[in-house]
Parts: sequence; C-alpha cells; structure tokens
Amino acid sequence: MRRDAGWWALLLPAFLLLSVFYIVPIVQVLAISFMEPEPGFGNYERIATNLSVQRVLLTTARICIITTAIALFLGYALAYAITLASENARRWWLLCVLVPLWISVLVRAFAWVTLLRRQGLINQTLMETGVIAEPLALVWNEFGIIVGMVHYMVPYAVLPMLASMREIDPRLLAAARGMGASRIQVFTRIFFPLSAPGLVAAGVLVFIFSLGFYVTPAILGGGRTLMVAEWISLQILDLIRWGLGTMMATLLVVTILVTLAVFSRVVNLRRLFGGAR
Amino acid sequence: MAQSFQQDCVELALRRFRAGEIDRRTLIAGLAALGAAPALAQATRNLVMVNWGGIANQAFGQFYGEPFATANAGWRVTQDSTGPSAGRIRSMVESGRVTWDICDSSATTAVLLGGQNMLAPINYSIVDRANVTGPVFAMEHGAAPYSFSSVLAYDSARFPNGPPTSWADFWDLRRFPGQRLLRRDAVGALEAASMSMGRTIQNTYPLDVRAAIRRVGEIRRNCVFWNSGAESEQFLRTGEAVMGQIWHTRANVLQRETNGRIRFIWNQALLQPGIFVIPRGAPGGEMVQRLLASMLANEDAQVGLLQMLGNGPTNPRAAAKVPTEFRAVNPTEPANAAQQVPIDGVWWGRNYAQVNQDYLDTITG
Repeated sequence: MRRDAGWWALLLPAFLLLSVFYIVPIVQVLAISFMEPEPGFGNYERIATNLSVQRVLLTTARICIITTAIALFLGYALAYAITLASENARRWWLLCVLVPLWISVLVRAFAWVTLLRRQGLINQTLMETGVIAEPLALVWNEFGIIVGMVHYMVPYAVLPMLASMREIDPRLLAAARGMGASRIQVFTRIFFPLSAPGLVAAGVLVFIFSLGFYVTPAILGGGRTLMVAEWISLQILDLIRWGLGTMMATLLVVTILVTLAVFSRVVNLRRLFGGAR
Repeated sequence: MAQSFQQDCVELALRRFRAGEIDRRTLIAGLAALGAAPALAQATRNLVMVNWGGIANQAFGQFYGEPFATANAGWRVTQDSTGPSAGRIRSMVESGRVTWDICDSSATTAVLLGGQNMLAPINYSIVDRANVTGPVFAMEHGAAPYSFSSVLAYDSARFPNGPPTSWADFWDLRRFPGQRLLRRDAVGALEAASMSMGRTIQNTYPLDVRAAIRRVGEIRRNCVFWNSGAESEQFLRTGEAVMGQIWHTRANVLQRETNGRIRFIWNQALLQPGIFVIPRGAPGGEMVQRLLASMLANEDAQVGLLQMLGNGPTNPRAAAKVPTEFRAVNPTEPANAAQQVPIDGVWWGRNYAQVNQDYLDTITG
C-alpha cells in the first residue's frame, strides 16, 4: 500500500499540470455552450431542431463510418498478410505501412488532388486508353474525401490488428488443419474470432480519429462538404457564434468519450494505446 | 475557415518575391529602417499592426508603418502576423489584455464585432473622410487604406465563340458549359447571383437572399468552391474550372502568367474595402487613430502597395498617380470602379452569420 502511494505521488505533477493547463481551460471553453447567447440548453436544442446542425452531424457520421469500414477491410487484409509473411518480408511490409504515417496529411491530400483531378493522372490515363470519354468526378466530392481519409487511416487500422493477430498461436491453426478443417474454416472459426478484439480496437481508433478530420475534407471536398471540425472553426473564428461552436465541440468530446466507454467494455483498450500483451 | 483576402495578398507577394518579380531592396528597405530603430527603442513607443502573415510584415511595414514613424518622432509601428480573425479579436478584447492596436480585417467583421462592442469607433475628427473615394471605405468601426474586387475570370481558350461577359453568362450552363468556381463565402457570391437574375449594378441591393441562395443552388453541382486565394488560382490554372469569381489580385496573376488566355472583367465585379479595425482598449489610444488617418492620407504609399501586391488605393488623389501599365488592374481606377458594385458591408455585417450559414448549407447540401 505504501509503495503504491509512492507511485501515485510520482504521477501527481503530471496530473496537476494536465488538469490546470489542459482540462480546466477545455471545460471553460465547453461551458460557453451553456452560457451563450443566453444561459440554458438553447444550443443543444438545435441538435433536434436545426437542419444545418443535423446535416453536418449526418455528413460527418456517414463519412466516418464509410471510412472506418473501408480502412478496416483493407487494414485487416494487410495485417493478415503481414502476420503470415516470413520474418524478412514482414519487415518490409511494416516499413511500407509506416512510411505514409510520417508524411504530412497536407502533402498527401495534395498528392491525391494531383492523381484524381479532371486532368490528373488517373483521368488522363483512362481517357488516353479510351476507357472513358469524359473525365470522371473523382475529387471535389465525398468520394475524394473518403479516398484521402482511408489512405490516412489504413496504418492506424493495421497496427492494432497486427498486434492482436501476432498473439494468435500459430499452432492452433496447424492443429485445426490437422483435424481436417478447410482453410476457410480455419479462418472463420479460429483465426477471425481470435483477431476480433484487434478489429474492434482498430475500429474504435479509426472512427475517433476520423471524427476530427479537418485538412483532408477541406482540400479534397472542393468546398461542397462540411464536416464537424471545419464547422466548429467556422462558428468560432468567422461567424463568432461561440455558443454554437462550443456546443458542437462538446458534442464531439462526449461522442468520443461515450464511444471509448462503450467499447472499453467489449475490448481491452490498453491495446489501442500501445499497451498490448 | 475561408482564407481572408489579406492572408492571400501576403501569400501572393511572397511568391512574386521568390519568383524574383519584386525587388529585394524594396522589401528590405522597410526592415533596414526598423533595424536602425533599436538605438531609439527605449525612448520610442510602439503601435502593433496585425496582419495575416508572411510578406505583409514588409509591405505594411514599408507602406503604412514606416511613413508614420518618420512623421511622428518617438513612435514606431511593428507588425504582428498572427492573423486577426474575428474570433481572435473577440477573445483578446474579452480577456481584458489587449496588445493589438490595429488589425487588417473586413467590412463584415467591422460591423459584426462593432455591434458586440469589441471595437473602438473610428474618430472622424482625426481620420479624414475626404481621403477615401467613397463611403464604402469609411465605416463606423473601420476604414480602408486599400481595396480589392471579386471579379469574373475565365479561360478564353474554352470559349472560341465569345467569352462570358456578365454573371448571367456565368449562370448559363448551356451556352458556356464547364465547371464554375465560387468562393465558399456568401459575400460577393449572392450579389453575382442577383445580377444573374437581372439586377443591375445600381439596384443589386437590397438583396433577395432566398432567391439568390436558390440561384446558387441551381448550379452548385457544376461548381467547386474555394477557401484560399491560392486554391482559386489553382482551380483555373489546372482547368478544373472554366470560369470563376475570384479576387482581382489572383486573376491578375493568372492573366499575366498565361499571357491573357485566362483573363478577367471588371463588369459587375464586387468592389470591397480592405478595412482596418481598432480593438476596444487598444493600448495606443488616440495615436492608433492617427496611424489609420495617415494610412488613408498617404496616396503615394497606396500606389506603392498597388504595384507590389495589387491592392487598389482608396485615396482620391491616388488614381492620377498610378503608372499607366497598372491602371487596367487597379479596382479603384475610375473607369473600372464605374463598372463595379461597391459591397454593402453594413448589411453584410448585420446579416452575415445567418446568411453565410444558409449559403454553406445550400452548397454543401
């Protein structure tokens, strides 16, 4: 007990620093949503009554869910391939997954613009080979945003799933094969259920990350899509409707906390933040 | 958040400087003068001018700060490039610790923040209204030492049978097919929409907001919307859009760069003031009003800024001093100004929050 107290005392400075310089100001900002333009829950009423607020929420939810689904699908396939690869190949695979993580989100968004625009690489190639006559609308819409976001999110999906897949004892798979299971049965009855916690953890991580996306939708959306993060910035900086902006910020924070709380019951969240094993 | 016009000027100038189009000495002159100041620093008092970053430090220092410091011994003007968005000004004034004296802002923000008692009113016994060409440049809570315009720019190569000449043509997708480009901000776009429905430059106001927004909605699927000036330029340069409503400074760059293939017209353009505002409780007090007065009064500096960044002068004596080759691109050149609609900043300030939200809802719907 006394030894424990010592450890807690060591945490105290960090705790104080965080609460004074981080949590208190955030709470102060979020409190504005109850004070402006008049005290009360007026801003929160708009979630139910205001079409504009609802549209932003729906757009954000739609884009985030689609992004998460695609990123999980691609990430799962990648993680599966990496798990089964030889030690040497695995290192190269991992490098290829990690390198995009180190490239700025801005650079990546512009790279996608170069590829997807009307006179971009993809449209030019397709038109020159005669596959299409008119350029396809690959960017300045939700399609472009989702392409950019999925590209950003795949590494975040791969890493937690890889961690959980590598914990699966390969002897289980061999044993199943030995007892006459087909490859598909081995996957669906042994491998997939054992990797499911990693899948859920990755899903939570990717979904939460997607909620706050700002740069990618702003660049690839062609101004025709408005997601929560950009909407908040608009209310705070340009329209100076702080009550409305902080209401949305509060909603975002609450959504993230609730998502975490719900899934922490389903899955060991320590895995998500690097505390695997 | 949409990029403001000022941020964009800064960016533009920086690029011109890098491309070697602007004399380095011109830029450094401002710094050199400041560099000499430290000896006097303890005796001098300081005014802080807030701009949108980059080269505005030099440009505003050279054309606004330096002449004032020369004329007022013991005072100097330093540039701060934080970017004085309405939200930032408000949070500074509310915190009670104001360190900004004068901010490069907009007509809309001047009314929006002025109405919330966040700005010092302009003292027109110090600032001379006779130093601007029109009432649009001298507002209750701000005054404009420069001007800019939202013009119709188009790629002439796409229209061999004659180019668009009005906003009505802009909305005519049959005669002028191709993707359009509008700013992701209602100011200017709704005036253009109104004129496309038959309003003239004399009776653009009062706007029929609902009709104008509906009109934008009609072409929104054939539109892309820009946030920053660089983006607007890029959309036209790469052929993503065949015509667009963009700032004249950007249109001018494209026109020069493509030798007139992409060009712009003044007809039905939206003339706007580059409004500077003074946060309430600015530490410089009355001297800030004098600084603003000097910025409006100094037509030579305004002509200098036109040559460097493309921003139009607002002083009535300036037009005559503009070199011939710059007259065609000066928004306040009388022949050009006569074709434009001066924007109603007061109306916009009162209605911006709601109207802009409705506009965004329509284009993102």
